[in-house]
Parts: sequence; C-alpha cells; structure tokens
Amino acid sequence: MPSPLHDVVIIGSGASGAMTAYQLTKKGINCLLLEAGPNFDYTKDRQIRAVYDLPYRGFGKPGRFPHVTQANEFTAALWADEKQNPYTFDPKDPYYWVRIRRMGGKTLVWGRASWRLSDYEFKAKDHDGYGDNWPVSYAEMAPYYDQCEPLLRVSGRIEKLPQLPDGVFLEDKSGDSTSIARFISAAKQKGIPTTKQRRAQGTLASSANLLLPDALATGKLTILPNAIAREVTVDKATGKANGISFVDRRSRREFHVRARVVVLGASCLETTRLLLNSKLANSSGVLGHYLFDQFYVKNTVQAIVPEAKNGRAPGGLMGGTGYIPRFTNLGLLGKAKPDKDYLRGYAVDFSSGGTPDPKYFPHYGEDLQKALAAHTNTGFNATTMGSVLPRFENHVSIDPVVKDAWGIPALRISARYSENEFKMATDAMNTLAELCHAAGFEMLGQHDQMVPPGESIHELGTCRMGDNPKTSVLNKWNQTHDVKNVFVVDGSSFVVGGSQNPTLTITALAMRAADYMAEEMREGSL
Amino acid sequence: MAQMMKRRRILQVAAGLPAAIALRAQNPYAAATSGKPDELPKLEAIPPDGVADAQRKFCTGIQLAALKRLCDMVLPRIGETPGAAEAQAAEFLDFILSESPTDRQTLYRTGLDALNTQARAKQGKSFAEVDAATAAEILAPLGKPWTYKDPAEPLTKFLRTAKADILTATVNSREWIQVVSQRNRNAAGTSIFWTEIA
Ligand SMILES: Cc1cc2nc3c(=O)[nH]c(=O)nc-3n(C[C@H](O)[C@H](O)[C@H](O)COP(=O)(O)OP(=O)(O)OC[C@H]3O[C@@H](n4cnc5c(N)ncnc54)[C@H](O)[C@@H]3O)c2cc1C
Repeated sequence: MPSPLHDVVIIGSGASGAMTAYQLTKKGINCLLLEAGPNFDYTKDRQIRAVYDLPYRGFGKPGRFPHVTQANEFTAALWADEKQNPYTFDPKDPYYWVRIRRMGGKTLVWGRASWRLSDYEFKAKDHDGYGDNWPVSYAEMAPYYDQCEPLLRVSGRIEKLPQLPDGVFLEDKSGDSTSIARFISAAKQKGIPTTKQRRAQGTLASSANLLLPDALATGKLTILPNAIAREVTVDKATGKANGISFVDRRSRREFHVRARVVVLGASCLETTRLLLNSKLANSSGVLGHYLFDQFYVKNTVQAIVPEAKNGRAPGGLMGGTGYIPRFTNLGLLGKAKPDKDYLRGYAVDFSSGGTPDPKYFPHYGEDLQKALAAHTNTGFNATTMGSVLPRFENHVSIDPVVKDAWGIPALRISARYSENEFKMATDAMNTLAELCHAAGFEMLGQHDQMVPPGESIHELGTCRMGDNPKTSVLNKWNQTHDVKNVFVVDGSSFVVGGSQNPTLTITALAMRAADYMAEEMREGSL
Repeated sequence: MAQMMKRRRILQVAAGLPAAIALRAQNPYAAATSGKPDELPKLEAIPPDGVADAQRKFCTGIQLAALKRLCDMVLPRIGETPGAAEAQAAEFLDFILSESPTDRQTLYRTGLDALNTQARAKQGKSFAEVDAATAAEILAPLGKPWTYKDPAEPLTKFLRTAKADILTATVNSREWIQVVSQRNRNAAGTSIFWTEIA
C-alpha cells in the first residue's frame, strides 16, 4: 500500500519551517514536518552542571568544533557535528558554518534580536544603484511583521526611524543607566540615532515552544524527527515535485514521502544543498550564488567607565544596553554620491557593565588580579554588525568528493568580504572610539577585524527572489520559478539583508508564503 | 599540598560510609542491605582530580616544570584564594594539549622550550629554577598592550595564549570555585548542560 499523500511536506523545524507549519495548519492544511535532528525532552535533555564536573573543565573537547566559536562544553551537544556533517572551502577563505540539528533548529539558542527591514533594504537598488531590489516592498511585508512580533513576543520601543520601522511590541519602558545615557548623548551630538534593543521575550523563544505546539494542537501537523531529507523527488511526467526521499538518522533506512507541495526550511545553506543535490530549480544558474550575511566585528571597542573604578560606581551608573541602527547613506536616491566611501551601513549593539576580559590588561600575577578587581563592573563594549553586499561570486556548490555520514554530497562554500565591508568596518571602529571618548570613557582596545564569513550565523541569499526567472530562483511568494509546487521559506530567499538580524523577516516571509500557498491550494492551482 | 588535599578527600569519603552496616539486625535478608531492591539511587561520587595524580601526556618533564612555574606566576595563590598550582592547571593543560590540534601543540612546545632556552642563556638554569627577577624578565612580553591580531613574535603569542588558558583552567577548577563561591554566589560555575544526542 503506498504511503498517504500529504498536502504539504515541510523540511526543517526552525524559525522558517515551524512558522510555515503554524500558518498552514491554522488554515486546515495537513502538514508533515521532517526534522533531521532528534526530538527533545526539555527537562531530560538539559541539566544544571558545574564546570569543574565536565571532563574538559569547560574548554570542551579540543578540535571538536573548529568553526563554531559559539560552542562550549555546556552546549557541545547542540551543534551539528562537523565530522558527521562536513563541508569544504578553500583554506585561504575559511567559512564558519554554524548549524544546529535538533527540533527547533537554531531558535533553541538564538539571541532573539528582532528588527524589521525597511525599504532601504527592500528597495536598496533604488537608493544606491547597487545590485537588485527585492520583488516585495516594506508595505507588503508590514502586515506579516505585525503578526510575527506578537507570536515571538518582541519587546521594543516606538522610535519613529524610517530605516528601522516600528512594530507591535511588548512595550519596553526601561530607563537608561547614566553611562548608557552618556553614550546616547554623545551619539546624538554626532547625529547618530540610538534605540532600545528589540528582542523576543520569555524563558525560551524557540519555534519548538512558540509555534509547533499550536500547530500540533490543530491536529493537522505530524512531526517526524531524525528524518534527513536527501532529495526532492519529481514526477517525470508532470515535472512537478511529488515528495521527498529521506534517510533515518539512526538506522540509515531510506524512505520516501509523497506530497502535493514541498516546502524547504532547512536553513539557507542546507536548503540550497538539497536543491543542488536534487538538480532542481536552477534554470537561472544563480542557485547557490549571492551568498551573503552580516559581517561582525565583535567587541569593536572595549572601554571602561572611569567613575566606576575600584567599586566606586554610584547607583545607576552602570548596566543596560542599546542599539545604533544604520545611519549612513540614508539620503541616497538613484546614483547620487554616498556620504561615505562605502555603500549602505552598519548597526551596533552596545552594553554597559561587566568586567573587561583579562586580555586587555598587560599584567599577570597579583597585578592582574588587582587590575581586574579595580575594573569590576566598569566595562563598556560595542559590537558592529555591517551589511554585506550580495555578490554573484560568493557561492556554494556541491563538493565532488566529500559526503556526509549518510552519504549525502556535502557543500563547498566560497565566500569572502569585499572592499565595501572592510571600509565600513574601519569607519565603525573609528566612529565608536570617537563616541566613547566623547562620553568620557577610557579605551582599553579597539579593532576592525571581522570574524570569518558565516560566523554571524546570518547566512542568506543563495535562492534569491526576483521577478525575472532568468536572474532569480524564487518568485515573490517564495515559490521556485521552475517547479511551482516547491517553496523555499528560509533566509536563502533574501535579496538584500541590511544590518538587521534576519529571523523576524524570515518568519514574516514564511507566514506570507504560507498564506499564498493556502490560497493557491484552495483554488486548486497547486 | 596536593597530597594533603587528596588524603583529606579520602578521609572525607571514608567517613561518609554508612555506620549502620555494623548494626544490622539478625534476619539475613533484612540485614543484607539498606538499599531498596526496586530503586537505583544516585550514588555520591567524586571526579579523579582530587584523589589521583594525572599522568603526564604531552609535555616533557622539563617543559611541564616550566609550565608549572608559568602557571604559578600568572595566577599565584592570593590570600585565601587558590592559585593555578592548587587548581593543578599545568597538569590539566598538559592533558588538554595532548588532545589539541597540532598548531596549538606546536605553539606550546616551542613556547615552553623558549622559556627554558632564555632562562639558560640568562642564568644557566631551566625556567623552573631561575630566580624571580629573571623569570619576570622573561615574561616581559606579557606587559605589551593588547592588539586584536596575534603578535608576530612567537613567544609573545604563546604567553598570551597561555595566560588565557591558565586563567580559565584555574577559575573553572573545583578548588577555585569552592573558595570563591563562598564570597560570591555568582561564581558557582554552573550552567545548563545539554545531553549528547543518542
Ligand atoms: C547563537 C545564535 C544566536 C543567534 N541570534 C540571532 C538573533 O539575535 N537574531 C536573529 O534574527 N537571528 C539570530 N540567530 C539566527 C537564527 O537562529 C536563524 O536565523 C534562524 O533560526 C533561521 O531559521 P531557519 O528555519 O532558516 O533555520 P534553523 O533554525 O537552523 O532550522 C533549520 C532546521 O532544519 C533542519 N534540517 C537541516 N537540514 C535538514 C535536512 N536535510 N532534512 C531535514 N531537516 C533538516 C535542521 O536540523 C534545523 O532544525 C542566531 C543563531 C544562533 C545559533
């Protein structure tokens, strides 16, 4: 007896796959969700432990995660094992691909920063003439952002900045510490705006607790963990997808599921790998190209607030966080001269409090301990997140030799940053140092060295959207131009990313795509 | 010192044995065990560091002696707060290094050898044996201001790496945490641990 024909099969249980499942099941559509990783039991899979009880005293097993700087011995079990899940790159251009293969995907640990894009991104080409516009506008996206923010429980403050549209927030009424207020005032004097952070709230803010339970409660969702999608299969007669072949993670048994519609939400690069391995949706030749992310200059500046030294901080001086949204090149229209020697711009996360890392102090022994004691809770720190220009040459392809532990051909990644990003990073460093001085902070260190591409965990763009099937993989509904019943709902659909973290936009796009799918299915067009 | 601590730990464990064993009643079944036949209780146990000597796995004897001296200089005991020696940071790093990628191993090997070479050139002794002033002279590169990029000079690069590793190996040790967490509850060194996937 053949297996049942599902309305929709969804690959991936992270932000994108889960949001699609949430929206489709609400509309009564039967979904089967395949997740490569195991299901988890929140209480059993996590326990409080002391660092000295771990075999490597918190260092972690040396060499286990050469490209996951976020991994530590406590979280080691979360990250995709690089031996089982290899990928390749030219050693000259390392790429740090950070993956989680568990129910909930990367939303199990995401930082939850949730910003909207604006038409400075959706219509970026109209502003500076570079690259392409998205085929959607902010006005089309706004109703979906409006629905996603309450689902993710995003807190924030209405700021009325055109480059960072306001949302439907849990209102953040917190005040600012004196040190943060000093930095904000220094920024204001230079015409640089600042905002409160915008973050998803709650003990956990993962797709596994915010989206999947409601989808399951409809009775329309079936979740299949440990199912690693190998290929989108196609009916040769119709040219349409007819399902997914997958391998069981533990037993390695091979299976096939049948579906009317296939939705890929395996995260940007895994989805792209799946399509490349399926030899599908690439009549344009751009599948896998235009890989970009946000570049990060972590701890661009590390300063101290001098009044806080030696434990003398008056109450209210230290603590708190804030954000500088992009503020450069906002006035451009057409090909006018930019106000910087680079295109687009960067954002900054800043925070006050904590003790600076011992590496900043040129001491050791008792002197070092004295210095650390004197600087307890004196720190001020800022990290830059810059927009990266989408460029055709940054791309992924299938490695001709390397396969993963289940025999699925691995990805080869080829990406590097360009002059535009390097100039922006240097400008960010100089600007932040200037602001710290103006705020009366003492500098301990500053730098403009970006982490390798990928490390920001915001990989985007390899199945880009567009109106023209010759230059894009997806149409404006996240539907592949080539195979009408295949949709891609993760960050690979992005055309331009800006300096904002992408997940809120990923969920808004997934919700919008699901609405479109549901309508098309109702009309019988899918 | 470490031997004394180990002895104390063994005595503590021995003292914890249920004294009731000797007083069991006559019925051989009732007396056989106080354990419940249908339960698996969590048994109190300890990690090896406190009661056993770690076997040297990576360094030569003279390299390990240099590492111990370096540990003691980077984080000495200060008042009641244990230092790297009590935390057996050198022995622990020797183990970590034995499993580390080659570039890290090379950095440490050449770095520790450089400490010994310089010590011999200055005083005709190993780094572990030179006087405090000479040892401090050799560690002078640690006084250079921080830069994001690794210093080109290999000894400076090694010393910076070792400084960070020694601090981590010490402040993450049971010895350090047990003392410091008495003063500061935030220094308990606990966090959420994710179980490995089956
Ligand atoms: C430490 C950290 C901090 C972050 N902070 C932020 C932040 O502050 N703000 C922000 O916007 N974003 C942040 N992110 C990024 C955010 O988590 C991702 O953008 C988001 O999770 C992407 O959703 P996704 O559905 O595309 O992918 P994922 O969440 O990665 O989910 C993809 C799922 O697909 C599964 N999968 C992969 N391949 C297959 C296959 N072949 N078959 C079946 N299943 C498969 C995976 O196992 C995974 O569960 C952060 C990420 C991390 C790790």
